[in-house]
Amino acid sequence: MNRIAQGLTLVLLGAAALTATVPTNLYLNWVKAGFGPFLVAAGAVTVILGVLVIVAELRGESGALDHSEATPEHAHGAQTDGVPTVDGARERDRAVAEEYGDGGHDHSRAPKVAWLLLLPVVAVFVIAPPALGSYTVESTGGSSGPPPEEQTSDGFKDALTEADAGETVSMAVQEFVMRAWIDEGREMAGRDIELTGFAVPDEEGEGWYLARLQMACCAADAVVNRVEIVDDGPTPEADTWWTVRGSWVEPEGELSEVSDHQFRVEEREEVTDPPDPYE
Amino acid sequence: MSDRTSADATPPSALGDSIAQGWSDRDELPPADWGRRTSTRRTGTVWLFALMITAMAMAHSWLTDELTDQAFLAWATIFTAIAFQALPFLVFGVALSAMLTAFVPASVYRKFIPQNAGRAVPVAGASGAVLPGCECASVPIAGSLIKRGVAPAAALTFLLAAPSINPIVMIATAVAFAGQPEMVLARFVAGLLASVVIGWIWVRFGKADWLRLPSRSHTPGASRWQIFRESMLHDIMHAGGYLVVGALAAATLNVMVPREWLLAVAEAPIISVLVLALLAIVLSICSEADAFVAVSLTDFSPTAKLAFMVIGPIVDLKLIAMQAGVFGWRFVARFAPICLIVGLASTFLIGGLLL
Repeated sequence: MNRIAQGLTLVLLGAAALTATVPTNLYLNWVKAGFGPFLVAAGAVTVILGVLVIVAELRGESGALDHSEATPEHAHGAQTDGVPTVDGARERDRAVAEEYGDGGHDHSRAPKVAWLLLLPVVAVFVIAPPALGSYTVESTGGSSGPPPEEQTSDGFKDALTEADAGETVSMAVQEFVMRAWIDEGREMAGRDIELTGFAVPDEEGEGWYLARLQMACCAADAVVNRVEIVDDGPTPEADTWWTVRGSWVEPEGELSEVSDHQFRVEEREEVTDPPDPYE
Repeated sequence: MSDRTSADATPPSALGDSIAQGWSDRDELPPADWGRRTSTRRTGTVWLFALMITAMAMAHSWLTDELTDQAFLAWATIFTAIAFQALPFLVFGVALSAMLTAFVPASVYRKFIPQNAGRAVPVAGASGAVLPGCECASVPIAGSLIKRGVAPAAALTFLLAAPSINPIVMIATAVAFAGQPEMVLARFVAGLLASVVIGWIWVRFGKADWLRLPSRSHTPGASRWQIFRESMLHDIMHAGGYLVVGALAAATLNVMVPREWLLAVAEAPIISVLVLALLAIVLSICSEADAFVAVSLTDFSPTAKLAFMVIGPIVDLKLIAMQAGVFGWRFVARFAPICLIVGLASTFLIGGLLL
């Protein structure tokens, strides 16, 4: 990979990061919203670095650096050659490449693996990966278990604690699931609750789930929270977004033994412009 | 179909480059020819990129809506997520390491870090607790520390300690494990212990020629900013390429390994610890996020979760690939197993004492 290619790769990579953050909100499909400014900064730095490298190369500036560095590289190459190893041949090839490639300047050429930096560029511009959705919910087999910490109900700090008794509480799916699992005081019982998430039709026929992915940092660590919906309407299409209003179906036995928390829907409304897909 | 898209866009370029490189590498051409060849190659490169950008634009308008395979899209999302989540840390780490190379004279290190490698190791471990950053940032920084004359064992200890016990990671752990301060303490102690012990092992048994380091001596004529630029370019190209390799592997395994397999083994005491250690290696989650994942693995014992958080920052696929890029495969083949073994030993010890 010569220096022009390196510079162009950096420009494209930076452009991809900037495209995903500034004119579009694509980055919200992959990372937490808080990463936005950092991605913009990293993208800008990458573009600038790429441009500087290209400009320096076109001016022939790096040529001055090349020759002076040839000597230490020779010593280094010889040392590597002396050690017989399994990948000795490859090492030697590399040493030869380092010594003779582009005027004996190791650092003007990047390893072939650097071409892979173009893959994220292709991912952004061609694939534009969407947020994780019903496929992930189905393939991870629904929700994770309840969190182990012994939280008492007054330890909750969520929308429910702040709302007055009579009003409709808009809760995160994550908050709802947490309450449904470990709130022994069962404060949600009888309350009017509003949830927003995407639809996941039940694989085995009837019914559907309302799900939302909880993300700590990026989509690789997404955790599924889902609620089983009890209503009379038709099952919505997978991955459509809905805001549902209704109430928690209080289970009979122990809270921690419930595998799917149920929600009785009184009103539902399709959301046309889904928010940040993760919580 | 969709796989072919990404394949279409890159290999022609890689092929073109390798052909061009093949010619220039093996034929010892007379020096007079270099100038002409380089400029032809430059023009070729520019054409190659122009072609590639056109191909991407065309694919963008014709192909993007055709890509509907759910599994592929989930894979692509996770790959992109890992790559772009790491990018700011990579750029930050690379910039910091370039600054160390270009602007901090080597004498400063000699002053602050003990010359004796055995004593330098704990100092490096403790300084890991100060510098925020994840493992993507610490690999290039450790590389530049070694180049500046810091004992390799101490730099490697820093490499391991910085992502394991830095303030941001500790805060994230405290938030994830709210109400379980012993978990935060256990993570700090186990992470620091593992880093320092590995450093000492390297002092005792490590050999210099396992590390392949670019011995860079810059021209006196080059300005500091030129050195800064060159160092940053070099590090991004080496660490970045391998970061993508790691992201590819992690995304593939993330999508392919069903979670039920994990739950099946969660009950067995020692096996469950090993399984979560393996999961940490495979998933390659950034150390600033792994606590949130660990807390969600509710069927596992506290020691198993500790293993997930101790092993993750010191050995994982992304890290192995990046270390290979900076230090060479001969180094990684020895370093990664040592990290795994010491990390597990430290987990069992501290987990047994504190959890």
